[in-house]
Amino acid sequence: MDPTTEALINLGLPLLLLVATYFTGSAVERRHYRSIRAREFESRQLPAITFRTLPRRWEVVGSGLVSGSVVISVDYFKRFLAGLRQFVGGRVKSYETILDRARREAVLRLKEEAAAAGYAAVINVRLETARMANGRNGSGIAGLEVLAYGTGIKLRHGAP
Amino acid sequence: MIHSNTETIPGKEIVQFFGVVSGSTVRAKHIGRDIMASLKNIIGGELKGYTELLQEARNDALVRMTEQAESLGANAVVNVRFSTSSIAQGAAELFAYGTAVRVE
Amino acid sequence: MKFDPTLPDDSANVSATHPLREAATLIVGIAVAAALVFVAIAAMVELLIPHISPALEARIFSRSEVVAALLPDMEESLDSRTAAVDGLLDRLADHWPDNPYMLRVAIIDDATPNAFAFPGGLVAVTTGLLSEIASDNELAFVLAHEIGHFRNRDHLRGLGRGLAFGVVVGVFGVGGSAGAAELAGAAGWFAAAGFSRDQENAADDFALALVQAEYGHVGGAVNFFERLPKPDNAIEREIEGYLSTHPLSAERIDAMLALVHERGWRSDGPLTPLSAALEAPAPGG
Repeated sequence: MDPTTEALINLGLPLLLLVATYFTGSAVERRHYRSIRAREFESRQLPAITFRTLPRRWEVVGSGLVSGSVVISVDYFKRFLAGLRQFVGGRVKSYETILDRARREAVLRLKEEAAAAGYAAVINVRLETARMANGRNGSGIAGLEVLAYGTGIKLRHGAP
Repeated sequence: MIHSNTETIPGKEIVQFFGVVSGSTVRAKHIGRDIMASLKNIIGGELKGYTELLQEARNDALVRMTEQAESLGANAVVNVRFSTSSIAQGAAELFAYGTAVRVE
Repeated sequence: MKFDPTLPDDSANVSATHPLREAATLIVGIAVAAALVFVAIAAMVELLIPHISPALEARIFSRSEVVAALLPDMEESLDSRTAAVDGLLDRLADHWPDNPYMLRVAIIDDATPNAFAFPGGLVAVTTGLLSEIASDNELAFVLAHEIGHFRNRDHLRGLGRGLAFGVVVGVFGVGGSAGAAELAGAAGWFAAAGFSRDQENAADDFALALVQAEYGHVGGAVNFFERLPKPDNAIEREIEGYLSTHPLSAERIDAMLALVHERGWRSDGPLTPLSAALEAPAPGG
């Protein structure tokens, strides 16, 4: 292979991948956000709060642990941007939407699980974030996991 | 906006509560700080550059959480929790969350 | 205490900057920074070069493994081809009055026509080059060009740039990611290509003077470049013209012809045929 073609391939392939993953990544993100917004609106009547104790006038008839979790992958374009950002420092903007989506999705799944079990509210909600490493030595990023968990509360009168 | 990591705010009564509000920011350290830090790692001691960086980022997360609470018409966030997690090598997420409430 | 089901503002945790804008800012910023670091190191090397005497240079690089591997064994007598090239090199170097180098020749077994100047005064030519050569005059120009690199200390600059390149790629790679390192490498490469072209032209200038002094004309020097294969399509041409470390043949020939005209040298004259040792096919091939 002559050096010109080789240089074009070496530069061109990553560039092509960047452009392609920018478009696929934003399409996936837009669709996810549409779903998140619709489901957040649907489940808005079920409170998920960080209180450890209950508001005094609630009449509790049952409770149980509920959780929701999700692992979201980071596309090539976002990883590339984050890689450049790590040199300069500052806000890694390309990961913000990933975490925002993961967190809201986890809370939604928590609420969905609670609603399915007949709970009217979730208290003492806790959120955990973990990075799934890609490399053997713990480097790289395969995905971000967010776990939301809390205690589901059944009320005598149904809703709070 | 009042922030508290307890469930009640002394001397005030919670009259209304909303859902969970959260603020998050992902920060990368930059190479200048890395070089200083690696020198410091040999002799030990506080990594001032990193302390500042994380402090700054945590404030950022609080500001974002407050913005969410304000958008609801809340005037306090109670039971605030902070969590820090490593997102990529050299990048960390600072996250703050709590329950937005109205107090009187 | 009553519950209000309003949803909070969902844009608070996401920056408003468009990802493409963020990408453009970062790419341009890092590329410029890498090029600046590269240029700064190259400039420091430039300042350092006058302080490295050829004697010191020879001492430092006599232990270099690359040079040692190429050097013909000093105990044995040179084979006839190397001796022929060496003789021509010595005759040319005689026209450089205060030559501080002990110039030596090595032949590298490689089909691509090329010649190199190694620190310490070693000129290496490839077997590919020797098979392309049609007259003593052509070989003389190639050797004189490498002598020109020694006079201008370009071989040290080359090393300095190699070092700068390594530093840029290393630092940007460690601090950032593979993407940042690649970007920095490309920026360094562009910066290096600009430096190189000026050096090649300066070496040509000196080479032509040596050839003129040896033969009384510069015929044969330019011919060789005209014979070398040229890139055939326009796109390839552009890439080569901009990126290649050796300038595009046509541009280089024009520069040389202009120079020959300016100095009033003759560009044609009787060509000296190759010595018998070089005319013969390479041993074993």
